[in-house]
Amino acid sequence: MSLLKSFNNFPALNTANILLVENEEQFQQSLANALVEAADAIVNVRLAKSLPVPTKNEESRPRIDLVVFIINLTSELSFESTEASLKYLDCGYFLGKVCFMLTNARNASIPPERLDAVRKLASLLHCPLLFAEDQTPDGVTNAAERLLTILKVAAGHVPMTTALYMSILTQCTVLPDIDQPSFD
Amino acid sequence: MATGLNVTGPLISDPSFPSDQSVSSRSINKSLRVAEKERRKLEAEDPFVLALKYFSDVEAGTPVIGNDEFEKNLVQVEKVAYSKGLSPEGISIMLEFSMSLRMGNAPCVRVLKCLIPATVVPQEAVVRAVAWLCVGKIPISAQVLFIKWVLTVFDMIDAKDQLRAIYGFIFNFVTEENLCPFICHLLYLLTRKESVRVFRVRKLLELQSKLGRQPFLLHLLSLYKVFCPELVTLSIQSRMKTGFRNHNAPWKSALIAVQKRSGSQVASSTSLPFMIKEKTTSRKRKHCLEFPTMSGSVNKQAQTEPSVSKRVVPLVQLHSFAQLLKNMHCVELPAQMGSLLGSSLALHYLDCVQDESALLRLNFWLGYALHEEFLFCGDGGSSQNLEEAQQFLNKLLFTQDFLQEGFSSSEAFLYKFLRVWDGSLLRSQVLGLLSNIPVIPSIKIGQFLFEPLMQLFFTSSLFFKCGLIECLNNMLSKWLCWNTVYCLEDNLDISPNKSHTSINMTLTDFKDSLMELVHFVGRLASVGLQLEGYNSLLLSFILDFYETVCDMFVKYELPLVLVPPAGVFYPALFATDPVSVDRLAYIMYRYQVNLTEAKSHRKQPKKACRISHHTLCDFNHYMSVMVNCLWNSKMFEPDMGIQLKEELLLKANIPEYWESFNFIHHPAFLSYAVDFHHKCWPGRQDMNLNSIKYSKPWTWYLEYLYSQGYDGLKQFVLVM
Amino acid sequence: MDDTTKRLLHRLIRRTSTEMLKTTLGKWGRLTMAQRQSLDFTQSKSALTEELLTLCEKNGWTVKNVAELEMIHVIDNPNQGMWHAYRLMDPEDDACSVELTQFKERFKTHLSEVVRHVSVKTKKHTDEAVWIRIAWGDTFSRPNHLKPTYVVYHLQTPYVFVTSLTSKQKPLLSQALILSTRYQGFKDANLSGRKLTAIRDLLMKQYPLVFPTNFSSPVAEKDQTMSNPCIIKEQDGLEAKRLQMARGAFGDGVLPQLESAVYKLETKFKDQTNRIMTEREEPFRCVVKFTSTNLLESFRQCAASGIVSPPITPLFSSIPLKGKNYFALKDKTLGSSP
Repeated sequence: MSLLKSFNNFPALNTANILLVENEEQFQQSLANALVEAADAIVNVRLAKSLPVPTKNEESRPRIDLVVFIINLTSELSFESTEASLKYLDCGYFLGKVCFMLTNARNASIPPERLDAVRKLASLLHCPLLFAEDQTPDGVTNAAERLLTILKVAAGHVPMTTALYMSILTQCTVLPDIDQPSFD
Repeated sequence: MATGLNVTGPLISDPSFPSDQSVSSRSINKSLRVAEKERRKLEAEDPFVLALKYFSDVEAGTPVIGNDEFEKNLVQVEKVAYSKGLSPEGISIMLEFSMSLRMGNAPCVRVLKCLIPATVVPQEAVVRAVAWLCVGKIPISAQVLFIKWVLTVFDMIDAKDQLRAIYGFIFNFVTEENLCPFICHLLYLLTRKESVRVFRVRKLLELQSKLGRQPFLLHLLSLYKVFCPELVTLSIQSRMKTGFRNHNAPWKSALIAVQKRSGSQVASSTSLPFMIKEKTTSRKRKHCLEFPTMSGSVNKQAQTEPSVSKRVVPLVQLHSFAQLLKNMHCVELPAQMGSLLGSSLALHYLDCVQDESALLRLNFWLGYALHEEFLFCGDGGSSQNLEEAQQFLNKLLFTQDFLQEGFSSSEAFLYKFLRVWDGSLLRSQVLGLLSNIPVIPSIKIGQFLFEPLMQLFFTSSLFFKCGLIECLNNMLSKWLCWNTVYCLEDNLDISPNKSHTSINMTLTDFKDSLMELVHFVGRLASVGLQLEGYNSLLLSFILDFYETVCDMFVKYELPLVLVPPAGVFYPALFATDPVSVDRLAYIMYRYQVNLTEAKSHRKQPKKACRISHHTLCDFNHYMSVMVNCLWNSKMFEPDMGIQLKEELLLKANIPEYWESFNFIHHPAFLSYAVDFHHKCWPGRQDMNLNSIKYSKPWTWYLEYLYSQGYDGLKQFVLVM
Repeated sequence: MDDTTKRLLHRLIRRTSTEMLKTTLGKWGRLTMAQRQSLDFTQSKSALTEELLTLCEKNGWTVKNVAELEMIHVIDNPNQGMWHAYRLMDPEDDACSVELTQFKERFKTHLSEVVRHVSVKTKKHTDEAVWIRIAWGDTFSRPNHLKPTYVVYHLQTPYVFVTSLTSKQKPLLSQALILSTRYQGFKDANLSGRKLTAIRDLLMKQYPLVFPTNFSSPVAEKDQTMSNPCIIKEQDGLEAKRLQMARGAFGDGVLPQLESAVYKLETKFKDQTNRIMTEREEPFRCVVKFTSTNLLESFRQCAASGIVSPPITPLFSSIPLKGKNYFALKDKTLGSSP
């Protein structure tokens, strides 16, 4: 049991470290491969089912620059597990080093309340909310590219930008229902 | 009841068979007669004809269970129905048999399911069936099935006048709770202006208060409102959830199969040019993302009796633009509105028709197709139907380009889709559709458009960023175009007579929305450039956008001038590629032209344009910065935008730092300066770029730059 | 040719696909080669039935012959209908020496002793199973061939599989079976499913089994080396553990395709806030039913992917362990009672 801290390690040169947390451990593997493939810098990917991460890896674990929570919207458990995991994250991470990635958002069978709940959670934590098409290779590559865009900023590879600045630009906001937009 | 139907004659009429009178030669006549006789004999023995005869003659109360004859005949009919489809007479007989419940409830559903028309459905048969419906003995499930069947074959019913005549009877069924959605759909297809009555509106409203705001009721009401706005006072949202579903499930595959088999005969008479359904045969899937083909009825009666006043011509029968013009007033729309998208003739019709119901119906269909079958598909969107979705959206884009306006349903779909989009799925199509959306009120624009786009923009790749800027540029120019087209000079109101796309808004509202959009792109551009390290590709797309913005007054007569933010201006000015600087110069030149024009119009009340003081200040500032930088070599002067401490600049050890961004030393033009130097003084060993600064070589140098194609610079220098 | 025969044949043809019908008729062996070749299988089923009926009349076949045809069909397609497993209890000394002809004879005699009108047909299948078709009648009516009961008995084993047996007929069948197999008891094994092969495999443990060990199998260690050095699993031990656990409970081979599992709970309602329910005398009953096309496989996947948190509840793992898919749970004792 250990609280993941954002500044407990020194950054390494030209290296970015990302932690993918997914309860189902389905999408994270392919996403990790795509991330390593698409990156032009050294990207270390850590995979976890849930937080906290075990203490035994404390030594070998580099400074994590970005924590990504992958939520499968078709599963309630996925969301609940994410909610529970968030507690084991140092508050420093919420300054732009956490993001949520949702899969299956276009599935007809998901209750709309769940998406709303995730949106609410993300906006409460001022985190960006990304959607991914995990079924297609193109979708996985695109998801990896978008994560890398955020990761580069979070790891300090982009001059004149900080993770906090980025998070202000991209954070999720809760919107009223636009199911029936009316302009009357 | 069955006596009214003539079943003794040949049931399958052969149109290729000429009648006796037309043939003069006796021998031919004779052989024909023999053939005719043979044929009749054959027909008399044809089990199918016998089966139909059985069903038309069978007495009421005949038991079904254990009745082998019934079973045999029904199997016979089913065989023909599923292979070739039933002739109009066959449909009449079987429908009559089924709805009259002559043999009880049991065969009713089974017969209804096999009513696959080969060509057309006689209107009388449907009317009679409705009459049976009024008797009220039919079980409710069968009633629902019957209405679903009517909806499915609606386009194949040969005329609609009698059905419209019994509109009131059909309307009565809306009180039946189970039937209501389907009846509403049927009424929706049948409604004419004259069928909208106060008591019907009242009934529907009453139902609505009982059942809640059901989409089917709302849609019927909204159609009523289109016809008679004075009768329906209810406020109906301009954007509604999808309306009527397709109910063709029990017959769909059989109908397609029958139509395919007899494709050669039917299709030739009904298909419109430019039909997009090219390779439907190979498709086998549950999502139907294709446009339905237009299957219309052959309106025999209308052809034979042209004197009938309420003649209608199905759109399917029109083959040329001239025909369309001739029949403009009496075009009958198909039940499947989606088929309109496939034909350019239909689009012409849509474009000029004043009747709003056509677009309303098309929007319903489209909204349903986009929402149910694409956005929220059951399996979460696997790759299989991606190609079809692509085709579908491309077709939709083509249609929107043709009509030069977006559909409100595609707009509503986009707002939803943007919020779950990953930024890559069908990117070019989605961005294309996005650029077509009509003007959004400024209070909503942030919520609907900017928030999702902002999240996507900053987290996506450079190419997405470029694509989005281009899309927003297209959107801006389309908005500006609509404005110029619809803006009525006298009251300054954008009140297009076709109010289905852009909602009524005043010029001020429009300007607000536009301003929001331009400011939004300004924000995206400034931060985007910073994040992407001032990438020249992105900069080029951004400058494209500002080329549209700077000309709003002159080109689109919109009394609004907006200057780019510093985050765009300075990166462009100090860009390392000469093209960007040149384009910036051109943009500044256009601003100059626009502002001068606006100032000269200030006296005229019509084109009253108050350019804000702020804008003018900004522009003048930019102008002076640019001139000082490029021309006067007065970089870092005290009153300029960029200020650095004197000692810091000295520390940098750059000789004559105030010259570093003039035309000679600007990183974008340095190579030209060197080249010019070589050409101007070929013999000179040591290079002294400052020698260009003398007035004569300076003029030559400028000429040299212009000769390289930098027209923007030329125009800029001219107005400077 | 009576009505029953016609209807029996009619129903059989309707149920069977044309392709299947061809082979079934071939196995039946009552049609001559010429007759079989003259049959046109491309025509509609009703016409085919007509043709077969005329052939029946011509050859003078009775309902028994058609019943035989049906039996061949059922043996070839055992995965239709609902099969229930029963277990014979307390074998007598000579139970294991009962052989086929003896069993057949005894069964027929015992059954016809208790029921006046009954028609029994037995057939030995390639594996050790004896298939019995029973058309029941009673004192006053002839055997009803339209609602036959099928019994599958594996010789020298205590397992019997039965389909479409009414509660009225159950004691009759049980008595005949007990007497003819030399056992003393007959009881419900609490296992049922649409796939005869699946429930048979499950009950007779004819599928790849594992023996629970505490050592991780070599398969689990292999995959870590394959992956990229840049990708590290934080909790890799967990996954291996889960996989091992799933394997321990359900094995790693192909599992019998069971469709459902039912848990019937009977307990006392305990909730301080709800006194009415708590103070009720009658037990609180609820039924939980799991259904899937392949239930055991689903359970294994759930456990392996971590959807079900470890350890796997004995309620799930006892399905393959005990060969049951119906459990009645009483208060405090989690084990099954019957």
